[in-house]
Amino acid sequence: MTTLSVASARRRPFISWRLRKLLIGYAYLVPAALCLLATVVVPIILAIKMSLYADVLYKPQDYRFIGLGNYVRLIYDPVFWLSLWNSCVWVFGSVILQFLFGFAAALLLQQAFHGRALVRTLTLLPWIIPGVVVGLIWQWLYQPNYGVINDLLIRAGLMSERVAWLSSPDLAMGAVVFANVWRGIPFFAIMLLAGLQAVPDELYEAAEVDGAGVLARFRHITLPLLRPIIVVATATRIIWTFNYADLIFVMTGGGPANATQITSTYTLQQAYSTLDFGYAGALSVVLLLVMLSFTTVYLRITKGVEAEQ
Amino acid sequence: MKRRASTDIAERLLAGPVVWIGLVLLTAFALAPFLWMLLTSLKDRRELYATPLQYLPVHPTLANYIDAWTSPVTPFHRFFLNSLWVCSVTMVATTAVSVLAGYAIARFRFAGRDALLLIFLATQMFPSVLLIAPLLTQWRALGLIDTYQALIYSNFSFTVPFTVWMMVGYFSSIPRDIEESAMIDGCNHFTALCRIVLPLAAPGIAATAIFAFVVAWSELLFAISFTTQTDMRTLSAGLLYMVGQYEVQWGPLSAGVILSTVPVAVLFAFLQRHLIHGLTAGAVKG
Repeated sequence: MTTLSVASARRRPFISWRLRKLLIGYAYLVPAALCLLATVVVPIILAIKMSLYADVLYKPQDYRFIGLGNYVRLIYDPVFWLSLWNSCVWVFGSVILQFLFGFAAALLLQQAFHGRALVRTLTLLPWIIPGVVVGLIWQWLYQPNYGVINDLLIRAGLMSERVAWLSSPDLAMGAVVFANVWRGIPFFAIMLLAGLQAVPDELYEAAEVDGAGVLARFRHITLPLLRPIIVVATATRIIWTFNYADLIFVMTGGGPANATQITSTYTLQQAYSTLDFGYAGALSVVLLLVMLSFTTVYLRITKGVEAEQ
Repeated sequence: MKRRASTDIAERLLAGPVVWIGLVLLTAFALAPFLWMLLTSLKDRRELYATPLQYLPVHPTLANYIDAWTSPVTPFHRFFLNSLWVCSVTMVATTAVSVLAGYAIARFRFAGRDALLLIFLATQMFPSVLLIAPLLTQWRALGLIDTYQALIYSNFSFTVPFTVWMMVGYFSSIPRDIEESAMIDGCNHFTALCRIVLPLAAPGIAATAIFAFVVAWSELLFAISFTTQTDMRTLSAGLLYMVGQYEVQWGPLSAGVILSTVPVAVLFAFLQRHLIHGLTAGAVKG
């Protein structure tokens, strides 16, 4: 460009400048686009293709196209339907409790007290540590013979004998949900805390002058103003919890007798343990469809929330 | 916070004892499991499996840490270095890629810009279990099983979407006039980006980078699926592998748990302020 004469550069500067800008913009996007293409887009297409084949890794001789065979198998698979139901229990149990405790935590951390920054950081810890670490910590806490939970409950007189939390079908789901609640409280706490800090103090002061009590102020000021962030945080969390397989995989592996088998751990089991890629592919496609519909609803809701603001 | 004296009983209760009891309970609930793991890691075998349960280690020992770190069967130092390498490379590459993409999306108006942003948001919603079977096939075909590359590339699938999203937020908050005046002064786009915009966005970029590191540090499913050799395992995968070996050795395992928690805990203490900004700017996995 610099070698061009001044006259010709001046003649059509506008078009070439815009075109160049556009090209530069696209060039900056290429690396990110390639990353996603190679690690997300192509694998998803591959998963869809896999779902149409009988594809078990250690039976290459049986590899063939079977159309919707894997999906038909899915419909007649009781574990799949059980896993969908378990996913609902897991998602809504976890998210509702995380939200309630997280909201309470946010209100507490909003107060002014000495050492607030330290307490905020400490209470955030459960959320930032690796999922496998959370799983192992709780596995140890729940351990029937040497676990501290049994010991404390017996000492407090709440139980008479030791309980195998993670290997009894009735208790296992509750136990993993509780561990997940522990992990997820900080997420809601920091999201809602950010929301609380954005509420202007004058509103509270004005309401107080008008004689509104603390509960009335909470109901008529805090809740309505936090609504957008509550919606976004809850929706994100629902989607994320539905996808999340690590914790259950580490703690129970979906057992005992599929009592904690959620759809994502079931998919993982087919891909990782059973090596039935065809079936795992079909499960993935179903997961993807569920996720896409969730995400569409989520985007609708957030759009609505933004419009309100 | 300024509060007028009030006769509201609910208010006085809430401001005083309820807050304090609540804060103590909250902190205890968050920390007690860690504390128990720490105590466990300091006990010897006899104290660990004592009946009735022994709460405090009478003879605290670091033997479990030394065991875990040097064990030939489950070489924790090796897991640690693997994680460090995989996460560092993931962090640097992710940041470079997302700085460029974030800048492009924040500054250039082009066709498909909104669609692209939506795609980045939607990819964050995809479950990673979905990618395991196809990625495994892909890496096998490319001969990348048991390599760091397979783990690093796979990490892009969940780091890049949210770091791009975060970078768009940071760049949008920097006034456009600054670089436009730089460009009038003779900078081209790239030098304007490097000299003017990057220094201004530096805190945000640092936060994004550290966050990418931390998320990669937690990654488990790709690590167990794409590696078969003990020597190639990352911390998360290694911890799970320690469980798989004969009976669970809670002593060394608890030491391993503490060792893998410390780095992310320290990094996160620095991040907190930026994190809240990033979280509220867009959805984040984690």
